[in-house]
Formats: sequence, C-alpha cells, structure tokens
Amino acid sequence: MYFQDLILTLERFWAEHGCLIGQPYNSEVGAGTFNPHTFLRAIGPEPWNVAYVEPSRRPTDGRYGENPNRLQQFHQYQVILKPAPIDIQELYLDSLRALGTDPTKHDVRFIEDDWESPTLGAWGLGWQVWLDGLEISQFTYFQQCGGIDCKPISGELTYGLERIALYLQDCDDVYDLQYAPGVRYGDVFQRAEREWSTYNFERADTALQARLFDDYEAQVHALLGLSTEKGKGGSLVWTQTDPLARLVLPAYDCVIKCSHYFNVLDARGAISVTERQRFIGRVRHIARAAAVAWYEQREALGFPLLRAAAQAAE
Amino acid sequence: MPDFLLELGLEELPASFVRSGLESLGATAKELLGHHRLDAVSFEVHGTPRRLALRVLALPAAQPDREEVVTGPPASVAFKDGKPTKAAEGFAKKNGVSLDALYEETSERGTYVAAKVFEKGRSTADVLAELLPELCRRVSFPKTMRWGEGDFAYGRPVHWIVALLDDAVVPFSFAGVESGRSTRGHRFLAPEAFLLASAHEYEDALEGRHVLVSLDRRRALMSSALELAASSLGGRLVPDAFLMDECVMLAEKPFVVPGSFDEEFLALPEAVIVSVMRDHQRYFAVTGPDGKLLPRYLNVVGTANDPARIAKGNDRVLRARLADARFFVEEDRKQPLEARRAKLDAVTFQHRLGSIGDKVERVAKLAAALRPEGVTEAQLARAATLCKCDLETLIVYEFPELQGQMGRFYAERDGEDAEVCLAIEEHWRPAGASDAVPSSALGSLLSVADRLDTLVGCFAIGQQPKGNADPFGLRRAALGVVRVALEGALDVPLRAAVQHAAAGLTNVDFDRPALVDEVLAFFAARLEAQFRGEYGVDLVQAVLGAWGFGSLRDFRARLDALAGFRGAPEYEPLAVAFKRAFNIAPAADGVVDPALLEAGAEQALADAFARARGPIDALASEGAYAEALARVATELKEPIDTYFADVFVMVDDERVRANRLALLGQIAGCVSRIVHFHKLQPAERG
Repeated sequence: MYFQDLILTLERFWAEHGCLIGQPYNSEVGAGTFNPHTFLRAIGPEPWNVAYVEPSRRPTDGRYGENPNRLQQFHQYQVILKPAPIDIQELYLDSLRALGTDPTKHDVRFIEDDWESPTLGAWGLGWQVWLDGLEISQFTYFQQCGGIDCKPISGELTYGLERIALYLQDCDDVYDLQYAPGVRYGDVFQRAEREWSTYNFERADTALQARLFDDYEAQVHALLGLSTEKGKGGSLVWTQTDPLARLVLPAYDCVIKCSHYFNVLDARGAISVTERQRFIGRVRHIARAAAVAWYEQREALGFPLLRAAAQAAE
Repeated sequence: MPDFLLELGLEELPASFVRSGLESLGATAKELLGHHRLDAVSFEVHGTPRRLALRVLALPAAQPDREEVVTGPPASVAFKDGKPTKAAEGFAKKNGVSLDALYEETSERGTYVAAKVFEKGRSTADVLAELLPELCRRVSFPKTMRWGEGDFAYGRPVHWIVALLDDAVVPFSFAGVESGRSTRGHRFLAPEAFLLASAHEYEDALEGRHVLVSLDRRRALMSSALELAASSLGGRLVPDAFLMDECVMLAEKPFVVPGSFDEEFLALPEAVIVSVMRDHQRYFAVTGPDGKLLPRYLNVVGTANDPARIAKGNDRVLRARLADARFFVEEDRKQPLEARRAKLDAVTFQHRLGSIGDKVERVAKLAAALRPEGVTEAQLARAATLCKCDLETLIVYEFPELQGQMGRFYAERDGEDAEVCLAIEEHWRPAGASDAVPSSALGSLLSVADRLDTLVGCFAIGQQPKGNADPFGLRRAALGVVRVALEGALDVPLRAAVQHAAAGLTNVDFDRPALVDEVLAFFAARLEAQFRGEYGVDLVQAVLGAWGFGSLRDFRARLDALAGFRGAPEYEPLAVAFKRAFNIAPAADGVVDPALLEAGAEQALADAFARARGPIDALASEGAYAEALARVATELKEPIDTYFADVFVMVDDERVRANRLALLGQIAGCVSRIVHFHKLQPAERG
C-alpha cells in the first residue's frame, strides 16, 4: 500500500462513517489537535465529525534527514467524533481492517496513555494503540479543551501515518517508503528534513523568534479584547465583552504561531526547563482566551450546528 | 445458598485502575452486604483490562428477620390522662405497629414510649438490586473520565454489566447500562457477545473464550511462560516486579513471544538497552550465563496466533529505538563530556536564580565549604564541573531517567578519575524515598550541596512549598539532605551549611538571616514529619529544641539517646521534675549565692549539681548523650525530687527566691542543652 493509498483509504473509510473530510491547517502546528477543526470544535455542545491529514511539525525531532524513523515534520491522520460513539474502539479497529490489518493475526493492544497539551490547556484520557509493539495511534477522550470542560466528549483518533506505512510496506527506513508509484518518501521530504533541521537547530534567529512570540501574543490580546492584566488566579479579564465583536479565528491563528515559535526556541536550546514553564503558561493563557471567546461566540450565534442537527433529525 | 456474580465490562483499563478497582469493589461489597445483613461465605474479585468482576459465594436467600426496639416521644407527651395523643398515633403509624403495642421504657433520661418493630428480611435479590448501583459507583479509580454525552464519570466507559444471582438476573442500571447476562470473550479471538446461564459457569465460560479472569492464574501462567522462554533461549529472566505487575494487566490471557536484536547493540550501556526495552516497550530482558545481557527479549502479548509475525514487528520497533539510542550515544561521544559545561551557562535553572552553570558554580563553592577529609579539592572541582553536563547530551534529553548514569558512562570513556565518575552518577541520589543515598563521600557532598542550593534559592525567591504544591520538590530535597547525612557517607552541619548556601546566593536580594531561619524551620518540620512515627512527636520536638541545627547525625544521636532513656525507670519522674524546673525558671543563667542556700534539700541539690555539671557538660559536648542522660538520672534525680518535696521556691524573701530561681535555672539550662524535657509527654504505660 503506497503512502498516499493509506491516506486515501482512511479518507474513504471515515467519509463513509459520517465524517466531514477536512484539510490541514495552513500554519505550523505541532499536531492535528491544534487545527481549529479539533481544538475549537471540541468545545461546546455542537456535534462534529471530521477527518483530515495534518502535517505536524516537531522541531526538536529533526535529524537532518539522516535517521530512518525521526522527522521534524510527519503526518498525522486525525479523526474527531463528537460525541464519541460507544462503539468508537470497534470503528477504529475496523479502520485497521480497512488497511488490511487483521487484528487476530497481530498483537493489538490499548495501552494507557493519557494525553495532555499544557500549551492548549487541554487533556484527555485514553491509550496509545500498539500493533505488534509499534505505537500506531493515539486514542483520546477529550475531557478539557482550553480549560473548558468538554460536553459532550470528543473521541480523538490520531494515526501516525509514516509509522503505519513503514509497517504495511515492511520497510525500515522512512525515506524508502513508497509514497506513490515511482516516488519515494525521501524524494519528497529528505532535503526538507535536512534544511529544516539545520534551521531549527542552528540557524533560526532566536531573537526574531522571541520577538515574534511577543508580538503575536500581543496581537491575540488586541483581537480578542483581552486585557494584559489577569484576574484572580490568573483568570481572563476582557475589555471587549461582545462575543461577536471579537476576532476569534485570527486570534487563535496567533496562538498557533506563538506555540510554534516557542517550539523553535526550544529546539534551538534557547529555553531552560524552568523558563519553559513560563512560556507554556503564556501560551496556555491565550489559548484559553481563544477557547472561551469561541464558546461565547458560538453561543451568541445560537450554536448553529446544534440547530442543524435538530433539523436533520426532523 | 445462592452465589452472586457481578461483572462490569469496560474499555481497556490501565493496570493501576484494575488494581484499585478490584480492591474497592471487594471492600465495598463486603461493607454493603454486611450493612444489609447479608453474610456470605466468601468474596472473590477478578479482573482483566476489560472487566472487573465480583463473586460472592454462599449468600443467604434472604436477610434474616429482625425485631428492633424503637424509642418514641416521652410518655408524658404521648399519653395524656391515659389517652394516646397525636404524637403517639404518629409514632405508631410511622413504625407500622398498633397503639396497643406501645409500651413505656424508663431510662436515666426519663420515661419514653417504645415499640418492638418487626422487620421481615427481604430477599437477597431485592436487596442486591437496590445496592448494586451504589456498589458500582463506589468502585474507585486513580482518575475518572467522561465519555459520550459526558454525563457520567468512571475509570473507563462502561459497555456491559452482568449481575447474576445463581441463574437469575439481578436487574439494575448503572451509567446508562442495564444489567443482564450478556458478556464477551477476548476482544479479537471471541468477540461475540454471549449469555451466561448462571454465576457458576463464569470462569470456565470465559476461559473457553480466551480470557483468564483470575489474576493469580494469569500471573502464574505468565511467570512460568517467561521462565520457560528464557531458559529455552539459553539464558535467565531478569526479574522485574514493575513489568510483572504491568504485563499481567495488559492481556486477558498472556502469551510470551521472544524476540531479538542485533548483537552490535550490546556495545550500548546496559542501562540504555534495559530502559528502551522496559520503559518504552515493556519487554523483559534476558541475561546469559555470564550475567550479561543477551541480544534477546521477552514480550508478553494478548493475542498470539502468529508469533513469528508479532516478533518480526516488535523486533523492528526495538531495532529502531536502539538505533536511535546508538545515534545519540555516538553523537554525544564526538566531544568530551566537559565540552557541555559552557552550554550550561545558557540553560536557565530558574530565571531569578540564573543558569544551571551558575548553579554548578554555587554548588562547587558550597561543597568546598563542607568538604570532608578524604575528598581532594581537585576531585571536588572536577566532579562539580562535570556533574550536570550530561543534561546537555542527546541521550539524556531522550531518556531523562538515565541522567547521572550516562554522565558517568561518558566520563569513564573520557578517562576521568573513578571517584569523579561515581560522584556524577551518585549526586542525583536519593531520587526518591525508596532510592539509595550516594555511597561515596564525594557523591554525598555534591548531592547535599545541590539540594541545599535549590532549597535556599527557592526560598529566597518565594517559591516555598504551599499546601500540596511543591513544584520544585523542596520537601524531597530536604529529606534527601537528611538521608545522605544519616544513611550516607557525609555528616552535615545544618545551620552552617544553610548559612554557606545563603551566602553563596549572590544574584538575588533577600534578608539572609531571616532566610536561614526559614529554611531551618522547614528542615525542622521535615525532621518532625520523618521521625515522629518512629520516636513520637514530643520526643522529636524535645530534641529539635535542644539541638540547635548542628550536625544532622548529632540530631539523630540525641533522638536515640533519649529514646533509650525513655525506657529507664528514672525517666518519668525526671521529666516531670525538669518540666517543673523549666516552667518556674526557664533556663535563666542567674548567679547562685551559696550563702543564701538553705541547709538540707536545697544545699544537697546545689552540691549534687556542682559535682555533676562538669561531667554532664563534658559528655554532652562529646555527643555521649546516653551517658550524659544516665549521669543526670544518677546524680540529680533524687536531689531534685527531694528538693521539690521539701523546698518552697516562691518564698516572700526576694533574694532567697531569686537565688532559688537561679539554681533551678542553671540546672534547667544544663539539661536543656541535651534535650528539652519540658516538651515531653509522660511515657505511655503499656
């Protein structure tokens, strides 16, 4: 199965199971969770079923294109089912069957792996899914997003596409994967890995990254009408209280950028363990603001997808 | 005598959830059934990742009937002129008895109306149906989660509930699931739901569907399969209690699949290989006849229809992980460990406390001030320079649990002094309450200096632990210092050490004397928490007061001496006497005028004290506290007892009174330098 067939199979499978086929977000993200299709849509009462590929950047994981398993940009296949149906595990296993993996001939196990994104103020409980010892997916029941309790609960399935492809193609080196007939994964990405690793580890201008972080953080405050003062216990203080006057999506875009600049600074070794906590706290604060602003905006709009679902049911 | 079965079918539970779930399920079942007067012969709990089960054997068919005496309103209220009032009628109605059945009962509190209320025992099935929702709700998990509509929180989503009393379903609903007799076998090998005819066939029916519900049986099976597999590989299983506990909970029926890796990876430090296998993949390691690792591993799996395919997949994963680790080690080895020292200057320890490089400098200075004989200046300087360098290596970035171990490994390859190499590894210790303290003096020295620097620094910037929040692990750090001093190779003069640490902290502004006192008070609280269980809180306080934050071993010596003395017959009267002396004259060192002493008991006490004082002081300053206390007992007990019996201290004559207080004050002062008797409670008589 070519790398692209893996994607196409999952697209087909989840489309047939009622998911909207979404698209990657057009800014640097560390995981599919950052895509508004997940982070914002998991908040609030509206139903939402979506599936999409997410090219995910992890600057510290770069290996200059020289390591057969590590990439600074890899691909996740992300599925959100909200509310998570009670048979979500079976659905997931069916998707493995669709990829030609018969669980009775392998060792498939659900191993505890609770997920937490300190920068997004999000966490959930769930598993990593092991296929013969290989972690092929993360499976999470979202409990909180942007500091807001999720209700209903979203089930998040995240497939590590390169890993699954290595397995399916019985291949030991990610760059030898067959992406499409006649094109290897390495043909597409190896040079990029080398350049981005060099950039992330050696060349990225740390003063610039730090400045960009500060500027985009300030922009979030401006777009949301969020005071730079904090309330009791670090709570949000709004200068703009009209939910429809806030620019939630551009603000959230800036949150994503801050998170990315933080990751680059981290890869450049410009942040210590303790300093890191402060950066994470700053991102978490604006992520929370975007989450709350999103909820209030959807509420002010009458939770449109809830209405749509009710109409569809009639 | 019916048997009962409850099975909760859940999505895959983590090992710790199965353990705590089963524990609380068993305990709560006993409590609730007992409370409802249903005494069973035995309780069993069974669990796998997908199910928690309770078997209750030989329950009665119904609760026993019972008659209970219920007391009602006062007789004077219930009956007026021999006629029942509304109060009596209400009481009779509420308890379902006729007015004729009411009778009077007199106790100390007065005369009240009472009734004998008969309660027919309810059927066990009815009682169970009522209490099972509560039983299910009270199963406890380390964490709970919500799912679906998000209305309900539990360890994992609930899929099915079996509740059978012999062959009858006990109907109830929990978490939106109705109980029944439908359960499931192995997720992949017997996925279809099937019906249980009765509670009795539970274990057998599931075993037929590839599920061993009994934890003990799974463990025994797994353990023997592991041993067998190891010996068939020509090696021995490396025992690992953590892995055993984990793996037994990761499969409904365990199978062992052996796998292998290339011999060339054995050039890696064994700790790295074991870390990769154990922490990332949960594989057991196997050693050969020479005690060295074999290029083999044992994997416990839940489905094993095609072991060769499973081994192939796992081999690939392990190969990739080991290749990664080897890459890190090779990269790291391209420069000596020392080359990382400069990088530490760019890594912030805490933004107000400076870089890790700054910290290393402070630790080196502090350690120099505490350096014992036997550790050379050069060794100390070298070990301090290198001790944190492995934080900047790739392997430690990837495997943080190997910090110290890898620093030592690289230092050894660089040809560093053996003591220095050992200290690099040991200075992180003790990592927790169950971790050993450093074995070497140099490792102990760095361990103590590192922890004291963190403590003093965090206190200086207001990051003291608050309530349960201790983000910098300061309680653990303080306890680490105490343990190194008491169990390890280096005593610590606490006040002096904290003063040195505070003096070395130059990049923050703070009130040094106040900070030293605050840190010492923190230590006092840690010492009390650590030792009150063993010695009793009053004894620890009695020693803390007298000790004055000298050496930690001295603190322990006083504790032991006092604990030993506590068993002596003189202990209690002496404690009472000194408490009295201290309360009257709290260790004030006035001058005693011999001319004002009264002949008899007072003179005798003054003479005894004059004789004993020198030897007691001498023994105490040598740290011979047991001998000093024995001396106090033999020399002073009788005179002081007689004194308090015969002499009235607070006489009107001011000069005499002052003189008496001065004598008592001197005695109290002398003894208070060993322990503060006035903090002690009388010993428990048992």
